[in-house]
Amino acid sequence: MSEENWIEVGSTDSIEEEDLIRFDHQDKTFCVYKLTDGFYATDGICTHEAVHLEDGLVMDDEIECPMHQGIFNIKSGEAISPPACEDLKTYLVKVDNDKIFIKID
Amino acid sequence: MKNNIIILGGGQAGIYAAREIRQNDSKSNIKILGEENLLPYERPPLSKDFLLDKKKEEDLYFYSSDVLKNENIEFENISINKVDFENKKLFAKNDNVYSYDSLLISTGSENKKLTLDNNLKNDIYYLRNLEEAKKIKEIVSNKNKITIIGGGFIGLEIASSLSQLQKKVIVIEIGNQLMGRIIPKQIADLVQNTHIEHGNEIILNKQIEKITKKNGDYGILLNDNSLIETDFIIAGIGSTPTVKLFENTNLKLDNGIVTNQFCETSIKDVYAAGDVSNFYHPFYERNMRLESYQHAQNHGICAGKNIAGVKTEYSSIPWMWSDQFNLNLQLTGICDEYDEIIERGNDINNGVIYFFLKNNKIRGACGVGIIGKVGRDIRITSKLTEKDNIVDKQILSDQNLKLNKLIQK
Ligand SMILES: Cc1cc2nc3c(=O)[nH]c(=O)nc-3n(C[C@H](O)[C@H](O)[C@H](O)COP(=O)(O)OP(=O)(O)OC[C@H]3O[C@@H](n4cnc5c(N)ncnc54)[C@H](O)[C@@H]3O)c2cc1C
Ligand code: FES
Repeated sequence: MSEENWIEVGSTDSIEEEDLIRFDHQDKTFCVYKLTDGFYATDGICTHEAVHLEDGLVMDDEIECPMHQGIFNIKSGEAISPPACEDLKTYLVKVDNDKIFIKID
Repeated sequence: MKNNIIILGGGQAGIYAAREIRQNDSKSNIKILGEENLLPYERPPLSKDFLLDKKKEEDLYFYSSDVLKNENIEFENISINKVDFENKKLFAKNDNVYSYDSLLISTGSENKKLTLDNNLKNDIYYLRNLEEAKKIKEIVSNKNKITIIGGGFIGLEIASSLSQLQKKVIVIEIGNQLMGRIIPKQIADLVQNTHIEHGNEIILNKQIEKITKKNGDYGILLNDNSLIETDFIIAGIGSTPTVKLFENTNLKLDNGIVTNQFCETSIKDVYAAGDVSNFYHPFYERNMRLESYQHAQNHGICAGKNIAGVKTEYSSIPWMWSDQFNLNLQLTGICDEYDEIIERGNDINNGVIYFFLKNNKIRGACGVGIIGKVGRDIRITSKLTEKDNIVDKQILSDQNLKLNKLIQK
């Protein structure tokens, strides 16, 4: 994949630890998380019924959907608690000069 | 030792119990007996996305037949109509007999029926299972003015879905607010306003005197002598635990099957879980019966562990949701035992939550808001409830202060 696919999300201090921000790019929505060991990114919409995960709760390595408490692992995207059953897509993240970038394919 | 484990009732609690037993016990025979000729499926979409055609039948199943086969869990479509707890046997209508060493009862709940003095019994529709949902979906496609009797969660969800299908919907509720007294009146009113804004008519405080039929249409006479004309009637007037089968047995019943915190009933080797069980909750130190998705799942899992010999207490803080139009309502804990109520927010666009406190500790909360707006705070509330600490009321009442501060404290 080419360098162009790395999109700048914002500065590293724009996210509190154990929290997330929503990032919209073209017609897609992403969530970018700051966990204790670094930054991660997933699709921003729950795979269950299309609600924005930006309003969800980040706990340890998991994001819990605000609508029906479906839970996903932030690092792998795995759906780990129903009613969510379809995995969440994850994206590569890099930090360069205190800026966060995600790789969109 | 190899056991015969039977799960009576093939719904949500039943399937989660079966898989949990298998996780802890690779040898026993596990058989689910279910009277619906369907593998266990999710009911919440029946009143919502299934009616709206956003979810299809195949989207509703918890697990495929392959998963059951791989885990050696048998599902048999049969209706049980007699039990003999003494000799550990179940009897089916077709004379089949099933012997068990351990039994889980997960027969769920059933809809209360209207008592009508004429023979219009078959003209009133109810919604509990997929078959009924399919029927309703098919018939409403040719109807325009639909009346829902009962302003509870399921009735209102159907009202929301049918309105989205461009139907004229009337909801008749006997009480003075929607969704029962357990929901704060202010929240019920916010939900009611949303229904009205979408064109639904809500009639409160009215009882049905009589229903008549003429030329295929119905007239519903209310106790103030007003007449509602309608071409289709659905009733959602509450439910009762499915326990008829056990009424003349030794099994202790009281608003469902009485169980302790280990899902054990009054009879040895007989367990109950899900909607049918009135279980002891050690945190609240009382019995309760819940009809909720999350409870059916977690209670089933807990029963499965106990049946497999892994003694596990059930102390999950209750939680449920309802989706109507663009609103998501959530309840956590219990909202009927409190000495103080604290309000957080007053605008449905940002979410509105009522906390119920006793001795300065949270016992439960009810919130409603545009989809996504109350979930995180309600989830944090469940955690705060579990922690059982005295809470800072200033943070609870001020929407500008984040609730997770209270967890970190
Ligand atoms: C329309 C609808 C919408 C809902 N929406 C929500 C929601 O939005 N949020 C939420 O939290 N909860 C919701 N619920 C509640 C939730 O679905 C239930 O609490 C849950 O399904 C209970 O699971 P259960 O296993 O106890 O019972 P069920 O899933 O009802 O399963 C019981 C099964 O046992 C079978 N059975 C009974 N007697 C016998 C017998 N004698 N022999 C053989 N089989 C038998 C029944 O046919 C049934 O298949 C909704 C329920 C309905 C009906
Ligand atoms: S929308 Fe996320 S779990 Fe349902």
